[in-house]
Amino acid sequence: MSAKQIHVSRFEILMDAGSGAQKAGDILITAFAHTGRYVFIEPMIPAEISPPARTKPALSGSIVRLADFDLKNIGNNTDIIIAQHEIVLDRRLDDGEHNTNVEILLDMGDQKANETSYEQVLKRCTKENLSVHPFHIVDEAKAIIKTLAGRGKNMYYIGVISAIYTLPEEFVIEEIKATFGKKLKPEILEKNIEIFHLGYVYASDNIEYSYTFKGSASATGKKVLIDGNSALSAGIIDAGFKMLSGYPITPASSIMHNLAKTFPAHGGLVHQAEDEIAAIGAAVGAYFGGVPAVTATSGPGISLKQEFIGYAAVAEIPVVIVDVQRGGPSTGLPTKTEQSDLPAVIFGSHGDHTKIVLSVGNILDCFYAPLMARYLAEKLRLPVFIMSDFQMANSYKVIDKPQINAVDNIDDIPDYILDHFWISRLPENIEMVRTNQAAPGTEDGMRRVTGLNTDETGKVNYFAGTNQRSHTVRNNKVHAVQHALKEPELFGSCQEGDLLVVGWGSTRGAIAEAVHDCQDEGLKVGGMCFRIVYPLPLMLKDIFARFKRVVTVEGAYGDDLKRTPLAMFLRSKTLVDINPMLSRATGRPIAPGPIKEGIKKTLEEMT
Amino acid sequence: MSAEAPENKITMKDLATENPRWCAGCGDFGIVAGLKRFIIDEQLELSNIVNVSGIGCSGRAPFYFNTYGAHTIHGRAIPFATGLALTRPDLKIFVHSGDGDSLSIGGNHLIHGINKNINCVYVMYDNELYALTKSQTSPTTRQGHKTNTQPAGSYLSPIFPLKFAIGLGVSFAASTADWMPDHFVNTLKAAYNHKGFSFVHVLQRCPHFDPLNFDHKSSDWFTFLTHDDGIPVDRRLKDKAEVAQHDPTNKTEAFNYATNDRTYFGLFFKDDQKPRYDEILQSQIQAAGEQSRTSILDAYEI
Repeated sequence: MSAKQIHVSRFEILMDAGSGAQKAGDILITAFAHTGRYVFIEPMIPAEISPPARTKPALSGSIVRLADFDLKNIGNNTDIIIAQHEIVLDRRLDDGEHNTNVEILLDMGDQKANETSYEQVLKRCTKENLSVHPFHIVDEAKAIIKTLAGRGKNMYYIGVISAIYTLPEEFVIEEIKATFGKKLKPEILEKNIEIFHLGYVYASDNIEYSYTFKGSASATGKKVLIDGNSALSAGIIDAGFKMLSGYPITPASSIMHNLAKTFPAHGGLVHQAEDEIAAIGAAVGAYFGGVPAVTATSGPGISLKQEFIGYAAVAEIPVVIVDVQRGGPSTGLPTKTEQSDLPAVIFGSHGDHTKIVLSVGNILDCFYAPLMARYLAEKLRLPVFIMSDFQMANSYKVIDKPQINAVDNIDDIPDYILDHFWISRLPENIEMVRTNQAAPGTEDGMRRVTGLNTDETGKVNYFAGTNQRSHTVRNNKVHAVQHALKEPELFGSCQEGDLLVVGWGSTRGAIAEAVHDCQDEGLKVGGMCFRIVYPLPLMLKDIFARFKRVVTVEGAYGDDLKRTPLAMFLRSKTLVDINPMLSRATGRPIAPGPIKEGIKKTLEEMT
Repeated sequence: MSAEAPENKITMKDLATENPRWCAGCGDFGIVAGLKRFIIDEQLELSNIVNVSGIGCSGRAPFYFNTYGAHTIHGRAIPFATGLALTRPDLKIFVHSGDGDSLSIGGNHLIHGINKNINCVYVMYDNELYALTKSQTSPTTRQGHKTNTQPAGSYLSPIFPLKFAIGLGVSFAASTADWMPDHFVNTLKAAYNHKGFSFVHVLQRCPHFDPLNFDHKSSDWFTFLTHDDGIPVDRRLKDKAEVAQHDPTNKTEAFNYATNDRTYFGLFFKDDQKPRYDEILQSQIQAAGEQSRTSILDAYEI
């Protein structure tokens, strides 16, 4: 059997929750990364801890995209699926994220007790013309799994996948050892490796297809394999924050978990507050004391924090709020992705709103964003949001190891960070509502802050002129950012043309890939994604004018009578007739494929 | 006062800011005056003091001290103070909060302030109703008292703040009143000297909405609790009011006093051993030792 040469491929491991599918994915991508491949992984995490096995809600898995070029997103449809049983397979087929020529490997281990169910799912596959390779874990491996109380199937699947992608066994074994070496007794570790090996041998002998990558391995140099929330956590330390306060909420909690371990060694502390309101309250309190503090949450927490966000703006206390968005409204989809919090952060909190909103579109952004946010928060003494989402938070990727900035004084923020967010350094003379902004401990700086309106001395003042002045001063801070914003980079070569696709946050990778592909096909399509989403740059209308039509791609709900948040916002800023080209709130990330289709359809409509 | 301590640097004048906007006869005047007296007695460095408050009449208190201060949002003084206490252990924090602010909208935070035992003096202004919003029933309004929201008389029996605090394991619980300056200042002294969450319940007159809430002219309805480790009986009332000896380490007795229908002033309970969350977090930083940030991504290297 000769291996087929490819540039890119996507596979999935589907198991019951708690069976180790995500661990399997982690081991594989690290091993692939060590061979110089570019990897991108998206874990599929159930919302419950231990949903009953062999049910659809129990689906837990890893989606892995591999390539011989740098990957910007998790890609389109899946080429290989390995499933522990028919139920998780059936559940995942419902999402429709597989190629028509997907190769499915279905473990038949549960078949005996569930004949009808297996039969139905296999029938479904036949009906949908899907190629299924049913397999049984070989007896020798089964016997070992039995001694491990049923655990270890994930190791077998790793073996199968490794063989299919001709990943040398030693790379995977090294990674299994690195993952479990300290946790498992040596004889248990050996058993796991043996199961892996048996899976590898099985696939080598019995599966007729295999793949190798055409391109050479990526240049070595220091690389890191890191997920969005870990990069953000490291970024928080790098930016010189000294406190993170939070309340457990999916998918933001892992920031708190990460910093609980790493922060104290860098002079920082993690405060697990009694609720979301208390979490932001503590961050605002710390920042009033002159100590940079950040709070991290998700949609429901944003709703709860709104009063304090308005307070921070009026009292002129800096604060940074991370919103790792999940599906909403209400409790919504805790472990799925969506971009629907934009209006809540831009327009949230009662009264006139003054704040800055950053977003992250890749792992590097996650590392840089806290520093950018701290700079803006302290220079303007306003709340600054960092908008991430479930997909950004949990996807892993190999990137070149970023430079550490280790900033204490925020004026030392390097220019390349400002450039990264397409913004110039802010002027030094930004006016505050109150002249005195001293932190406690400053001799003769004694002052009181309040959410009431005050004059420039800080005295409570309800007079008309004074209140109007406060609004002007606060809004001028936001306007200062508008003035400082530079033109966001357009993807690829197309700076003017027929269609401009606009997005923000985590859709960036998919939009970039779709736009690049379309440009390669000769289409006059441009693409742009905001890193700072609020406020927007002043020359936006001029950029839009270079294209015949401007559309958005958003992971948010929209229909004929309801415009999506970004489209609505862009229209109001530019009076350009902007509509969403693709708006989805399915909980699944938006892939390049549907964007490409949308681009082509839109271009057809335009002719 | 200059006669008492001529060398003192800080005087009432140094603490003055503006005239309070409270009603004539409001108990809050007495509380602010008492805290000022205490600051002067102790000669606390004004730039190291932060008065933190929520919303309500009591919320305005920080404005009237020439120290640092934060008038925050309704019920949320404790979270703000927690952030400060965790990151700036060098500061002296006084929290000012009313009965509605403390026990209704901010009830959850009070539970956790008590439990976390962060270092601050918590002054609970209890006038037994919402006053700034014009007389609504609060968690401490006595049953039957007529308010704008329960005009036939408040329906429920009130929450007893000291019972609440001691029941939750507060490390310091004392009670005083706005019209007993001597006792009030001594109570603050004891509260300040205790390291941890010092809960000070202050009965506060509200002549505008409830002139009958506390009869400050009579001393028949209360008893002073006193002890060598407690708070001295009010100088002015020591020959008039009933006095009882109470060991502040006796929690059972403290709880009995707190749940009694009779009113008691003095130090109910004190526990110097209760762990402090702010100290624990700071000690983690000490224990971890300072590492260079250049290593923060090393764990992710492949």
